Amino acid sequence: MRNLVFLFLLLSVTMQAQTKMSATEAQSLKTLVKRQALTTKTIVSDFTQYKHLDFLSNDIITKGKLAFKTPDLVKWEYTEPYKYAVLFKNETLFINDEGKKNQVDMGSNKLFKELNNLIINSIKGDMFDEDAFVITYFKTDKNSEVHFVPKDKNSSKYIETFQITFNPSGDVTEVKMMEPSGDYTKIVFSNKELNKPLPDAIFTH
Amino acid sequence: MRFLLISICLLLVSCASYPKKQHFQLDNSVSKSIENPYFSDETKDYVYKASIDVYDKHFGGLLIIKKINEQEHRVVFTTEMGNKLFDFTFTENHFQVNYILDELNRKMLINVLKNDFKVLVSDNLQVINTFSEANTNVFETSIYNKNHYYYFENKQLTQVVRTKNGKAKVQFLFSEINNHLADQIDIKHHNIKLDITLQSITQ
Repeated sequence: MRNLVFLFLLLSVTMQAQTKMSATEAQSLKTLVKRQALTTKTIVSDFTQYKHLDFLSNDIITKGKLAFKTPDLVKWEYTEPYKYAVLFKNETLFINDEGKKNQVDMGSNKLFKELNNLIINSIKGDMFDEDAFVITYFKTDKNSEVHFVPKDKNSSKYIETFQITFNPSGDVTEVKMMEPSGDYTKIVFSNKELNKPLPDAIFTH
Repeated sequence: MRFLLISICLLLVSCASYPKKQHFQLDNSVSKSIENPYFSDETKDYVYKASIDVYDKHFGGLLIIKKINEQEHRVVFTTEMGNKLFDFTFTENHFQVNYILDELNRKMLINVLKNDFKVLVSDNLQVINTFSEANTNVFETSIYNKNHYYYFENKQLTQVVRTKNGKAKVQFLFSEINNHLADQIDIKHHNIKLDITLQSITQ
């Protein structure tokens, strides 16, 4: 009997899973997210990162804070279980590794440049570039989930799909980066605040 | 003739094994095999914050080690943001690269990493010779046909030294040890400017 109940529970969980959106639904989500991205001048948020490797017993969990300011200032800061911050600013990647400071010129590094663009666009959710991605739209219970498959063979070697979850107001709540091996990195945002004035001091190395 | 004598003497001196040069006495009365317990628990996900200094460059990331079964270990390195840089499988007699970022796919680098991580994941080793002094036992072993000396202080593994021609080439230092977990591991290369520091964040 207990097994039967369990089976039903499992079934209902699976049945809740995503269904594909109609073209109209997809279009209205796109419009909503793009409008949201345009009016977003700053973002601050906490995040929890789950690194999933199939062979591990548990995901590796790290936590931190994110700050974004238009057009292209991003600070990605891990606070637990270690301190590590990356700041994307003027084509340069500034790294602060437990106090050890370092920088990488992204102008000379195509991979970092692409990564930077992807990060900024995925935070805002605005990755609806049909030339760069094959895009599929799904709806879940309340939220929407969009899968972006990079067309560029070079990027798809690292990331096979970006899966972004949007809440009903078109905000990104979760980003999942699937690797070709099936391993993934999932980032879940919480306490997200939009358009709160941010002092420039946050974005200093 | 004198030159011959001198060179024979020199040869003898340089042939003296590494621990003997450090004034340890040969003592083959102790065990025939030793264990490195630090990556030997199949139920544990070993996660280390890694910091690598190679020449004047500094890199960071996460080193993840898992004992899959009695014969197999996986060793994966990712950036702090989760991007995988390399993924290796070690078995007793086999080594496999499951993934490596194109930019790092250099034979020499892979060899250095292979030799170093093999030492971390080798958890049971046959002893060739044993030396001792006071509370320290030194066990001579061979990994990939290279001499490795395992230092146990008060029965706890604190150091592994890889030698070539009687000289220390690479040193592995284990410290802050609690319940078979080394919270801090330092890998120091003496022939190339490469230092790897590992700090446990095992959850």
